[in-house]
Parts: sequence; C-alpha cells; structure tokens
Amino acid sequence: MTDIDANVSAGAAKGAALSVRNLVKQYANADRRVLDDVSFDVPKGRVLVVVGPSGSGKSTLLRTIAGLEPIQGGQIALEGKVIETGKPGSEKDGRSARSSELRTHIGMVFQSYDLFPNKTVLGNIMMAPLLVQKRDKAEVEREALELLGKVGLADRKDSWPHELSGGQRQRIAICRALILHPEVLLFDEITAALDPEMVREVLDVVIGLAQAGQTMVIVTHEMRFARAIADEIIMLEDGHIVEQSTDPERFFTEPETERARQFLRTFEFERASHDQQ
Amino acid sequence: MQGAEILLLPGVMPRLLQGLWVTVWIAAVSVIVSVPVGLLVGWLMTLKNPVVRVLMRIYLDFIRIMPQLALLFLAYYGFARWFDWNLDATGACVLVFILWGGAELGDLVRGALQSIPEIQAESAYVLGLTGWQSFVHVILPQALRRLLPASVNLATRIVKTTSLAVLLGVVEVIKVGQQIIDANRFQYPDGTLWIYGVIFFMYFIVCWPLSIVARRLEKRWAND
Repeated sequence: MTDIDANVSAGAAKGAALSVRNLVKQYANADRRVLDDVSFDVPKGRVLVVVGPSGSGKSTLLRTIAGLEPIQGGQIALEGKVIETGKPGSEKDGRSARSSELRTHIGMVFQSYDLFPNKTVLGNIMMAPLLVQKRDKAEVEREALELLGKVGLADRKDSWPHELSGGQRQRIAICRALILHPEVLLFDEITAALDPEMVREVLDVVIGLAQAGQTMVIVTHEMRFARAIADEIIMLEDGHIVEQSTDPERFFTEPETERARQFLRTFEFERASHDQQ
Repeated sequence: MQGAEILLLPGVMPRLLQGLWVTVWIAAVSVIVSVPVGLLVGWLMTLKNPVVRVLMRIYLDFIRIMPQLALLFLAYYGFARWFDWNLDATGACVLVFILWGGAELGDLVRGALQSIPEIQAESAYVLGLTGWQSFVHVILPQALRRLLPASVNLATRIVKTTSLAVLLGVVEVIKVGQQIIDANRFQYPDGTLWIYGVIFFMYFIVCWPLSIVARRLEKRWAND
C-alpha cells in the first residue's frame, strides 16, 4: 500500500518541512490504536490534504503534530529536527512539554470558532507575537492590520468575537496563526461548523495561502476544495493510511484502492442527489 | 407615628451611623481579602494533586457545614484557649468572614475556571503561550466574567452575616440599635420598631447597589 515505510530509519526526508514517521497514538484503557504506524512528509511550500471517514484519526493526527496529545510511538520532525518522540505508556500525559518558541513554528486553526472572547480582533491577533515572540508593538499592529486587510476584515479590527459571523471568526483565527510566521499550518476541518455561504470566504483565504507557498496540512470534508488545493493527499481509516498519493488529481479520479473508491463515491452520491433539486 | 421622635434625639443617628460604619468596615475588609483568598483556593481546587484536592475539600466542607456562629465562637474563644492567640472580637469576625468568603468564592472560582472550554487553553498553547500566560490572559479573564454576578451576591451575604458579630460583643449597627432602644425603653416604648426600621433601611442601602450591579453584569454578559 505505502512504500514510505522503506525510509523509516532514514529519518526526515530532505527538504521536508514536516516529517512524521511511524506515528502511534493510543488512548489510556483502549486496545485500539487511534493512529497506527502513520508516516508521511510534507515538503516545504506544499499542501497535504488528509481525508477519511469520521473517526479515522485525522483530527488526532493534527493534534499530535501540534503537541496537544502525547504520542506513544514514532517521531515527528520539523525542518529535519525531531520535535516529538513517542513514549510507550505516555497515554495519560498532558500536552507536550515542547517550548513556547517551538510551538509558534506550528500554527493550528480548529473547527470551533476558538477566538478569545475577552479580546478584540486585534487583541486576539497581537497577543502571541507580543507575549511569546516579544516583538515590537507598532510592528505587530502594522502586520496584524495588513493580514486583516488580506482576509477582507480590516474594518473589523476593533470588533469583539461575539459580534462576528463564524466565517469572519475563522478568517481571524487564520490571521492569528499567520502572524507568528509558522513553518507549518494545520487546519482541522475549519469549515465544518460553518453555514454553507461562509465556507467559500474561508476556503478562498486558504487557497491564497497555498499560492503564497505556505506549507499546510489540511483535514477537510470538502472534497472539491481538497481536489483544488492538494499537492499531496492521504486517506486515513481506522488510524491507518489507506492510500497516499502525490498526484491528487489521480486520487480523485482513479484511486488505487477499493476503499478509497468507496469513500469518494459517498461524496459523488451526495452531490448527485443535491443536483437534482 | 408614635415613637418616631426617638430618631430625632441628639446622638441617635450619629451613633447608628457609627455602628453602620463598623458593619461596613468588617464586611468590606472581609470581602476585599476574600477575593485573593478565593482566587487562590479556586485555583488550588483545579489542580490534579490529590493531597491539595483533599485539603481543599476538607477546608470547603468544614466551613460550609459549620454554622457561621460556631465558627465565630471557635475563632474568638477557641484560639485564645488553644493557641493563646487573643483575637479581639472584630478581628475574630474578619478572620471568620475571610475564611468563609474565601471558601465560598473559591468554589465559585473553581466552577468558573472549569467552565471555560478546553479549546481556549489549547488555542493558547498552540500560539505558544506559557501555562501562566494562558491562565492570566485567556482563562482567568473569561472566568472572572462568569464569576462576577455570583460573587457580588456573596458579598451581600457577607454584609448581612456581619450581624452575628453582635454575639461576640462587637458594637456594630444592630448592637447600637439595641443600646438605644434599651436606654429609651421608658420614654419611647414604641421606639423599637423605628430603630429597627432605620437599621433595615441602612442594610438595604448597602446591599441594594450590589444587587443592582450583579443583575446588570448578569444581563450584559449573558450572551457572550
């Protein structure tokens, strides 16, 4: 199925922004592994899209990369440096003890609109650069406004999160991650909780980032978006990689595995039934 | 309207106001010191350390189960007898109300801290904030908002409970009232109602603004 296992001991591939090797994730008191022997590389400036049915481990994969969940096996490397090594028996450990500075290199945007409700839009975006990176306030504000302009929300800089729509909040969450200049951005189903009309405005921002060469790992259920943005694709099921391809067009038109075919067909069916209306 | 003249006797109102000042002073000091104590207790209660948890549980339950009056007697007479620590009556009151307010507020703080969704701490973590920065800039400000209405109510309860200080001999507003009534029992047999009426009004004036503030805040933050 996958030939990536061949370079297990070779460690991170050259030029990879993010390398995951033989990742194992298991919860306490559970026999089944949520992620089992997952390996892949994301070359710099490329976009990896992770698809798969619910409960396949997609979100957990992003969470382990972000350091929110301990891993029980394998390694995660950022730009060739190992940042996480699996420890058996670490199921009950909390978030990774990785440094604040290191965390700013991997950005993440969640499905729920997770802006800090006690801060304005600008306050949300400027918090981490000021507190963690100790950057100059005027410079940070200038960049924050520039980012807001890019996502079309310059006029909302002083708004409070509860005054904004879901789509606006997600665009601001993207700005909040971008201002730290992360090497890799992780998107965990960022449009799954949005009204359909708002999905577009958020996905357009993500497509703009891809064009600008931002390295990203994207978990999504929007198959047409996935097809448009992916440079590489992984399909997960039950914590295993079912199919892995550097040719997304081919994955979406003629997948190699029967399972991937089945999975993609479920979306075809949905679309067909909608088109009839 | 019989007996209302008692309020016009020289010294009656000034003495009642002095008594009110004692009440307000005990309550204010207790509430103000309860805030840091409560924050600390609440934070300790969210820790995973089992020893800390058990200690906090015992503290909270002890304070809650004991009647405040029993706590006052323990502090006033007990400390003197067991530790040779002679608190004056006002000191004993303040100490008990701080311990009580701290425990109640601590439980409120714990509830408020735990009601903040995990995703908030996770977002802060991913942005690189340290645990302390996340607590101070993200979790605590949100918890305080949820906490404020309930803690203002707690403050009014503390104000009212200061009336127990009479029983330790503190001359606060109720005690002053009793003294005035006793001294004028024969000239103004109907003065009792007037004096207590004024005291009622004084408590109301102190507590009412607090209730209004609590209601306002509850409304304003309800939809956040």
